[in-house]
Amino acid sequence: MFSGWNWVAHGLYLLLNICSLEVSGGLVQSCGHIIPESPVLALGSNFTALCILNESCLDFGNIYANQIIWKIKNRVVPKEQYREINRTVSSVTFNDTSSLATPLTCNILADGQIEQNIYGITVTIGLPPEKPKNLSCIVHQVSKLTYPMTCTWNPGRHTFLDTHFRLKYRWPQENFPDCMPKDVNNSCTITDVQFFVNLEVWVEAVNALGKAESDPLVLDPIEIVKPLPPHNLSVNSGILPTVLKLSWENRISPAVMKLKFNIRYRITGDTNWMQVPPEDTASPRTSFSVQGLRPYTEYVFSIRCMKEDGVGYWSDWSEEKTGVTTEDKPSKGPPIWRIIDASHSPASWTVHLMWKALEPFEANGVILQYEVTVRAKSSLSSPPEKYNVSTTNLTLKLPNGTYEVTVIARNRVGASPPSVLLIPASNSKAPVKNVRTLPKDGKLWVGWTAPNSYVLKYVIEWCLVSNSSDCIIEWQNEPGNVQGTYLKGDIKPFKCYLITVYPLYADGQGSGQSVKAYLQQDRPSKGPTVQTKKVGKAEAVLTWNHLTVDEQNGFIRSYTIFYKTVDGNETAVTVDPSKTEYTLSSLTSDTLYTVRMMAYTDGGGRSGPDFTFTTQKFGKGEIEAIVVPVCLAFLLIVLLGVLFCFNKRDLIKKHIWPIVPDPSKSNIAQWSPQVPAKHNFSSKDQMYPEGSFTDVSVVEIEADDKKSFSEQDLKPFDLLKKEKSTSEGHSSGIGGSSCMSSPRQSVSDSDEGETTQNTSSTVQYSTVVLNGYRDQTPVQVFSRSESTQPLLDSEERSEDHAGGGDSTTQRQQYFKQSSGQDETNTDRPCFERTKQITSANEGDLVGFAQLQISGQSSQSLGLGLEKNTQEAALSDVLQASTEGLTVRPEAVEGNPLSVDEMPKSYLPQTVRQGGYMPQ
Amino acid sequence: MAAADSPSAALRRHDLCSRGIRLAGKMRSDVVDLLDTYVERQGLDASASVAVVEGVPAAAVERWDEQTGTQRLLENLAAYRAFRALLAQMLEEQREQLGEADAALGRALAAVLLQVSAFAYHLEELLRLESRGPPSEEGAGPPPAPHLGLFERKLRGLGVLRELAQWAVRSARDLRQLAKPSPGSSSAPGPAESP
Repeated sequence: MFSGWNWVAHGLYLLLNICSLEVSGGLVQSCGHIIPESPVLALGSNFTALCILNESCLDFGNIYANQIIWKIKNRVVPKEQYREINRTVSSVTFNDTSSLATPLTCNILADGQIEQNIYGITVTIGLPPEKPKNLSCIVHQVSKLTYPMTCTWNPGRHTFLDTHFRLKYRWPQENFPDCMPKDVNNSCTITDVQFFVNLEVWVEAVNALGKAESDPLVLDPIEIVKPLPPHNLSVNSGILPTVLKLSWENRISPAVMKLKFNIRYRITGDTNWMQVPPEDTASPRTSFSVQGLRPYTEYVFSIRCMKEDGVGYWSDWSEEKTGVTTEDKPSKGPPIWRIIDASHSPASWTVHLMWKALEPFEANGVILQYEVTVRAKSSLSSPPEKYNVSTTNLTLKLPNGTYEVTVIARNRVGASPPSVLLIPASNSKAPVKNVRTLPKDGKLWVGWTAPNSYVLKYVIEWCLVSNSSDCIIEWQNEPGNVQGTYLKGDIKPFKCYLITVYPLYADGQGSGQSVKAYLQQDRPSKGPTVQTKKVGKAEAVLTWNHLTVDEQNGFIRSYTIFYKTVDGNETAVTVDPSKTEYTLSSLTSDTLYTVRMMAYTDGGGRSGPDFTFTTQKFGKGEIEAIVVPVCLAFLLIVLLGVLFCFNKRDLIKKHIWPIVPDPSKSNIAQWSPQVPAKHNFSSKDQMYPEGSFTDVSVVEIEADDKKSFSEQDLKPFDLLKKEKSTSEGHSSGIGGSSCMSSPRQSVSDSDEGETTQNTSSTVQYSTVVLNGYRDQTPVQVFSRSESTQPLLDSEERSEDHAGGGDSTTQRQQYFKQSSGQDETNTDRPCFERTKQITSANEGDLVGFAQLQISGQSSQSLGLGLEKNTQEAALSDVLQASTEGLTVRPEAVEGNPLSVDEMPKSYLPQTVRQGGYMPQ
Repeated sequence: MAAADSPSAALRRHDLCSRGIRLAGKMRSDVVDLLDTYVERQGLDASASVAVVEGVPAAAVERWDEQTGTQRLLENLAAYRAFRALLAQMLEEQREQLGEADAALGRALAAVLLQVSAFAYHLEELLRLESRGPPSEEGAGPPPAPHLGLFERKLRGLGVLRELAQWAVRSARDLRQLAKPSPGSSSAPGPAESP
């Protein structure tokens, strides 16, 4: 900031000077000036300036010192700081120069109020230089003969002024030109210095406010040299495989300084440097043999130097050079192990011999081949078998026995000591105990307790246990004096490893002891899937499968089952990890439960999917406990009711089935042409035991094709046909009862056109048709006949169904059941079985119908008529009807039939014309 | 004498001798290098024989081992003072001859001149420790340079440098002799002790 003001002030100062020059040139005469002229002031000091007016102006302009006004950069200085020394001189005093600014002007009020500038000066404010401190010098060797010396110092505070630093140096008897820094104020380089003479060095700082010098530094420049590092470093392998010889050139003359050295080296690829003991290289030299190196190993070397007495600075490290030691014999035999596969045949083994390639520091060169020797211990006479292999494994088929296997690694220089492995018949020796693992520093440590016997070495086998891959065995050897080691391999976290430790003895080996371990555990990758095995009213049996090894990510420490109702709190149950089933109890019946299961490892837990189930409403046996008593009670009630009815059957019968007078026992029955014996129908008796059917009259009609019906005889049939539509629902006559009669049913019956009623007949019977047409569902049809003739119990058996159209006798079966009760009583059980009259040609059928008994009823009635038989009979009848149906008057006359000849059809009788007319 | 016997004086003397020996060694090394450069740059033959340079005391001396310390110092001082004057003259002539064109030779000459001057200072300091003080330089300077031709001047310069190299060797031996703790070697006045 101050420098900026300085520039401004300087500009104004020049302007004012130009003005004053012009004035002094005669244009305008200056009326005064300020003393001191453009001072440089120390910051914080006091300052007094004088403005001196010219005498000539006093008279000319009536200007006096008491009219002077001092201004700092257009700001009037308070009058208190003025002092009128005489009538031409006014002074202004500043106690602290920090309040000053540029320009400082002397002004005057001419003619009352007109302010005129008389003079102005610039004021430069700064600080005197501080004494430079911390002066230090170093001589950098830049070539064999060039030693520039660079000195640095602390220039001290900023002075706000142009301050010059110079480095001064001299010999006691000779001065040298000063070193002037370029662009900096804190260092300078002397291009060439002479050694072995003390040089006095100091720094001088100068500015307008003063000068300061640092403390002098007296030194011999040879004591502050940083030499160039040795160059042209070369590395040569010597005769010995453990020695490399280094050679180099020094770039500083021994006349100038004697040197000592540091040599460092490292194996290529390694980052750690090793160093040759400094005392071995503390004297001037240009070569050195580094010993104790590994054979057949590439090393990197670097070297530096400094003054022999240690005064001065170390040089930088030289460029790096590499060298390779020569080969040597392998220092040890390869570690060897085996896998014995005895599964193929009991008498021999498949032995997989495995050995590890030697580490470079053990191989000491390029291993050209391995020599494997297998010697049977049992038969010492047999020569050992030798194999030369270049790989690190060998598979042999050996008979059961004890063998000594020897492996030797060979390189260009020689062979390694042999590695010996005994393949015993059995692992009969003492095993290790207490195998344990511990993850440590990202590696898996395996420890064990040694057996009591002396162990040559241990073999640690391990493999990754996985569902997706086989257990690929890795192994390593450990010396017999250790009881723990880190697994040397790529041990992955969250994977299960099966680790087995075998102790090897001089005469055999102990059995392996295994342990499973994880380097690091994580929570399982999925949770168990739980489901119900059985659900009851208050309990549910849950079942799940164990997680696979790949899913576990650690040892499953426990399972936790969480279950809850829709709106209830979740309940957790911890389950032993060995279990796969658990019974939840104390559940609420008929409730939806959500259950899930978490599996926990040391790394955390993970939940499986939710599963829902509903408990049952009733428990086991509850339904039975309710239903069985209810059924028993119902049965009991029924039984009681039956007993009651049985006891009161007379009374019931009286009310429900009142005794109907039996017409057969009436007097009019005495003239009935036929009275069939009741006892022929035992089934009928059983079905109607209560005498609901008092009697059945049987009418047999024989149709003889040889006979033709007279015209007169056929008339009633025509009438019947004509009247069929009007025959509905009429029931009359003595005892003319119709079971299940209804007008509608009669109408439907009349549609079939199969039943006719001879209205001209004085006797009408109701005829019930129970079979359907052409296998259709039978419709109960009845036609009612009116007769003045008393009701007859008749029964007719058809004796000949197989007769052709030419058969002399075609018996049409009619069956009528009539109870003789009041026709309005439809609740009465009654049955009518008739042969349904069918007609192939409606036009040809004249007053003839066949009633067909339904098969079902025929069985119960014992009438044994097959449907096809009936149809055949019907066709015969129809054929006969075309030729004319002749009703035998004999039958109409009522010739009594013997019991055997009793027809199975029943036809109503027509009394008036002495024959029966089918309806 | 008292000062010479004080421990600090002995230390100072040893230091001066030690550094003087190393300075002489470096000086010789530099002069040998300079000789090669000089011969090359001046177009001279390295095997050229040069007559004895006038004003330069000969490094070779008979009965060297019988000399006293002070005598050695005085002879050395006289020689180096002469070398200082001769080298300054050579530097001047070289600058006049080659200007700034051969700055490397000039710098090397200047460096040797500085070392000669420094060695002279060492010798003066040692003489002060001997309580004799260095002799005045008046009259000890080299004789005024005769007006020689350019080639002669080159040959003269070659002779100066060769003699300086020889003196550097002798001075180192002298200082080693002085540094030896041989009582009386420095104090015993000898016939050649007076300048």
